[in-house]
Amino acid sequence: MKEITDPDHYDHYELLEISQTADIDEVNRAYRASQEIYREGSLALYSVFESDDGAVIRERLDEAYRVLSDSELRARYDVSRGYEPVKLTESSAPPSPDSSTTVESDAESVSDLSGAASAGEALGFDSDGGTREYDVFEDESSGDFNGLRLKRTRLFRGFEINDIAEVTKISGGHLRNIEDENFIDLPADVYVRGFVSAYASTIGLDPKIVVPSYMALVEAARTANQRSGFLGRK
Amino acid sequence: MDERDGVTLTIRSTKRSKKKSATKSRGDAPKSSRKSRSATRLLAIGGGKGGVGKTFISANLAAAIANLGMRVVVVDVDLDGANLHTCLGVPPPKRSLADFVAEREDDLGKLLVDTPLANLKLIGATHANLAEAQPNDRRREQLIQKLEQLDADIVLLDLGAGVNASVLDYFLVSDDGIVVLQPEPTSVENAYAFLRAAFYRRMRSAVVSQDAQELVAIAMDQRNERGIRTPVDLLREIKAADSADAERVVETMDRFRPRIIVNGARTAEDVKLGFAVSSVCKRVFGIKAEYVGYANYDDEARRSVSLRKPIVDLRSDADVSIYLQRIARKLLGLPAAKTSAGDETGTKKMARETDRPHNELGELG
Repeated sequence: MKEITDPDHYDHYELLEISQTADIDEVNRAYRASQEIYREGSLALYSVFESDDGAVIRERLDEAYRVLSDSELRARYDVSRGYEPVKLTESSAPPSPDSSTTVESDAESVSDLSGAASAGEALGFDSDGGTREYDVFEDESSGDFNGLRLKRTRLFRGFEINDIAEVTKISGGHLRNIEDENFIDLPADVYVRGFVSAYASTIGLDPKIVVPSYMALVEAARTANQRSGFLGRK
Repeated sequence: MDERDGVTLTIRSTKRSKKKSATKSRGDAPKSSRKSRSATRLLAIGGGKGGVGKTFISANLAAAIANLGMRVVVVDVDLDGANLHTCLGVPPPKRSLADFVAEREDDLGKLLVDTPLANLKLIGATHANLAEAQPNDRRREQLIQKLEQLDADIVLLDLGAGVNASVLDYFLVSDDGIVVLQPEPTSVENAYAFLRAAFYRRMRSAVVSQDAQELVAIAMDQRNERGIRTPVDLLREIKAADSADAERVVETMDRFRPRIIVNGARTAEDVKLGFAVSSVCKRVFGIKAEYVGYANYDDEARRSVSLRKPIVDLRSDADVSIYLQRIARKLLGLPAAKTSAGDETGTKKMARETDRPHNELGELG
């Protein structure tokens, strides 16, 4: 008979919705996200509990985090449940429910609660913040990469323009022109190609997917400019 | 349930897996017999609360899917409050689902109405007999059967508000049951109530023994004295009563995969609500509800209703259109991409997407 795990019997990993190989950053993120979902007054919990079942879940989450965030306790827990031991690296940044530490997140994973939570924090949305630059459903392995999408992915992953400029040695102006699709002010295509490729790899995108997509945009714009009499730089 | 989770599946493979899904996920649906499965995929848009944008989402997903090159029939099954035709810019249809319900017409094909979109047809629900709008059980079963036999790739049902038997059955027989919610307590409350009601209704038709059926009936009463609050509580009780039924319950729980859409999102917080609800479904109820996307709040989207045109057509490059198009792609298992609606067919677009990186690889290296 197929088994459905009763949520009351979830182990610490299932409870935090992470894999048994999750590193400490993932544990931190998952815990922070779950704190947000299961806090008192959370919209997502509205009408769910009649009594203080919410407190029970919060206690269980705290306990799961207490164990999984401590490499020694976690190792012992893994052994006691017969799980494969995981080699962990310690992180210097312990989470707190209201900390706004920027963490890298997996924009592509729909089930990644933690990514969603941390990105919102990282981007500093207030109650009037828009949804435009907050995009958890983007699939980075396909589709058209235009300037807005690059910018969105950059922000989502917590990179400033300067961070990219520093790594790639490309001027911030060029990088901004790429995001703004300001093609007129960009140098010849062969350079742009290099810039976009470096930009993409710095923020963890695949240049093989991003570059052709973006360059098609550049070429289309330049062709259009030439036709309409403007001097398209080649 | 690979065909439900597979974000990367193509249209073709979705169809290929159809037979499997027909036998696997339909077995326990309310009694109607389902022979001769066509490749038609049924999508239902519900959500309990009125005014959360079910019709807006239905009209736009239907248009977005049609723009991807699939043949879509969108059906207004909201016999008490039909207005899908308005969102699509179609005058009140002369013939509608009401004719089927009233047994004046047996052929759903004759109720199809053209819309401004080539691939999209509508079955309206206008001029229903308001005294007796809902079909009786027998007629409902016939309707569900005929909906599945419609000549289309996708049949999308726009459900009415509430949790009456008709609404729940349309939701349950569909390949994808989608719950629309807005970031506000009333909507969240009704969404959970809707999911619970749908789940228990499916359970009721899944279990066989008298004891188990009684337990389901008890569970449906929210304040039951037995303390059954969640599907998991129910499972525990049924396990003690009848092991064969417990197995059926487990199967049913595993197959019950509602989807969630957040409509009217204004903030990142609102966007996150979908993840939170999905998490609560899993961690509290033991139900796997996948969050498939959100549509942001948009004044222009509101205006599109007044202009009687889906926003994905009116302004295909608006944020809200992009988000809606993305939900459509995700539901079809197509790779996520920014498409401007209507510029090319789904197949062509897909071919271009898969070919291009491949073609230019050499150039890159």
